[in-house]
Amino acid sequence: MMKSIRTAATLAFAAFAPAALAAPTHAILWKNPQCSCCEAYAAYMKAHGFDIALKPTNDLTQISAKAGVPADMEGCHTMFIDGYAFDGLVPADIVRKVLAERPQIAGVTLPGMPTGAPGMPGTKAGPLKIYAFTKDGRPPFVYAVE
Amino acid sequence: MGDFDIGAVTRRGFLASGVGATFAAGAPARAEGRSLQSLTLTAAASRAMLRGPGEPDTGLWTYDGVEPGPLIRLRQGRPARIEVNNGLPEETTVHWHGVRVPNAMDGVPGLTQPPIPPGGRFTYEFTPPDAGTFWYHSHDDGLVQIGRGLVGPLIVEEATAVAVDRDLPWMFGDWRLRADGELAAGFGNMMEDAMAGHVGGLVTLNGRAEAVQPVRAGERVRIRLINGALARMMALRFEGHRPLVVAFDGQPCEPFEPADGRLTLGPAMRIDVVLDMTGTTGRRYRVVDDFYDGLAYVAATLAYSPEVATSPARPREPVVLPPNPLPAPDLASAERRDIVIQGGMMGGGGMMGLGGMGGKATPGLGGGAVWAINGMSMTGDGAAGMAPLMTFKRGRSVVLTLKNRTAWWHPMHLHGHSFRVLTRNGVAVPHRQWQDTVLLAPRDAVECAFVADNPGDWMLHCHVMNHQVSGLMTVLRVA
Repeated sequence: MMKSIRTAATLAFAAFAPAALAAPTHAILWKNPQCSCCEAYAAYMKAHGFDIALKPTNDLTQISAKAGVPADMEGCHTMFIDGYAFDGLVPADIVRKVLAERPQIAGVTLPGMPTGAPGMPGTKAGPLKIYAFTKDGRPPFVYAVE
Repeated sequence: MGDFDIGAVTRRGFLASGVGATFAAGAPARAEGRSLQSLTLTAAASRAMLRGPGEPDTGLWTYDGVEPGPLIRLRQGRPARIEVNNGLPEETTVHWHGVRVPNAMDGVPGLTQPPIPPGGRFTYEFTPPDAGTFWYHSHDDGLVQIGRGLVGPLIVEEATAVAVDRDLPWMFGDWRLRADGELAAGFGNMMEDAMAGHVGGLVTLNGRAEAVQPVRAGERVRIRLINGALARMMALRFEGHRPLVVAFDGQPCEPFEPADGRLTLGPAMRIDVVLDMTGTTGRRYRVVDDFYDGLAYVAATLAYSPEVATSPARPREPVVLPPNPLPAPDLASAERRDIVIQGGMMGGGGMMGLGGMGGKATPGLGGGAVWAINGMSMTGDGAAGMAPLMTFKRGRSVVLTLKNRTAWWHPMHLHGHSFRVLTRNGVAVPHRQWQDTVLLAPRDAVECAFVADNPGDWMLHCHVMNHQVSGLMTVLRVA
């Protein structure tokens, strides 16, 4: 079941892979060892030109808390690129947007695991709201809507 | 100190100091012509050196000030009286996990007893029918109270001693600590509750990390593996040794060597193994837990002393434990019911997969319950007036088919009874396995049979505590 989801996701996203890219952007993705959608998400990111190092951990809560992710807005994994934290199934173009704009934030999160998000099966029930968070006490705010 | 007295060894990591007092069987009182086993436990805040001397200690809640709680040794078939004092700032109860006790002694708040208020006391009285490896733990605010350390080993001794040189209870704990040694704040959040639960980063054996078990070449030991963690699954391999499994959850099985040498224990599960110390004097052997892909670690180390055991040479016959008085279910006439486990992340058909749950739980984050049994979520630790999902006539043989429709592992625990695990995914389960907690892998279906002979309202729940408190719990009535 899970394997088939992953395979399907890989094939689907491979079809949309950009034809030419500069050197891949390096990312470290901390994931629950038993969660398979993170692998589907990693495949999606690879297809979008990211070089993903998958690291299993049972301590995602502490990793995301340290990264500044608000406790009630956790995604299912935490990825680090170039000093920013990307929590949950954040679409690749939003990741690129953060890396290009370099806003004064600690990172962005897509809370939960909504259907239709990258790595998840199904179709979107509504727009995906990606929140930015900081470590300076400012409340999280909507950074992008997909 | 009983079996844990290994002399003056005080090095960091050795097992001696991790275990406190042992209650040996029977204070010399008499009741009804049989000796009464009487003891007291007090739940209260204390501190423990989980990481060992020289490292920051940890504020916990413990029984009698030790982590894990004192080893209780009872005798099979003899009445026991255990007075529990509550020195905590909140209500508590104690559940005697796996012991087939009368319902009123089962320790489920509201359902089987009023919770013990702070400063209060409750006396548990029961006669353990089965010999074997059990444990005791809080059943009130269980995610927090077990998470803070309210657990302990409970051994019911066979009427005649089993022929081993030493009997070693190994109780594992799992902790998420901050750098300063204190417990990390919080034992759950919506993501953790809907995924694998609160798995920590520091595993202790009898209250001590990096545990070292001294052994001697030539001896035969019985190791009682107890997973006392909130959520962590374990798969233990004894490097260089061949453990013989002799019991699950306190109930003897047909002895066997696991084909892959792995001993898999979900939270609350126990496995008794007999281990012949066939290693080399002076050497060390690792006990590796490789349950989680990519996260294998050394759970314990066997350290051979330079000497050979002095016990007399005797034939090494297989150890067979005496059977317990379990009623045999009549499969032909048994009542057959399904227990369907639903919900969690990647539950299928949506984010949580909790379709058709009624008003109580909302699919998605923020909805409270994230798991369900047969479409209904009972959250928390037990409460008065919980309506039973099923009622069985007392004495009826029952076959439950537990169906895991989720993407996560669940150790499912039935109170008040032990059940025989008949099949897993349609394949007969060998070695006559009786359990009180059966581990279901994602999508597993397991058939379990028992005689519903213990009257009362009994919990059936997942022992990943995050899952229990967020909906993976129900009640079965025997009347």
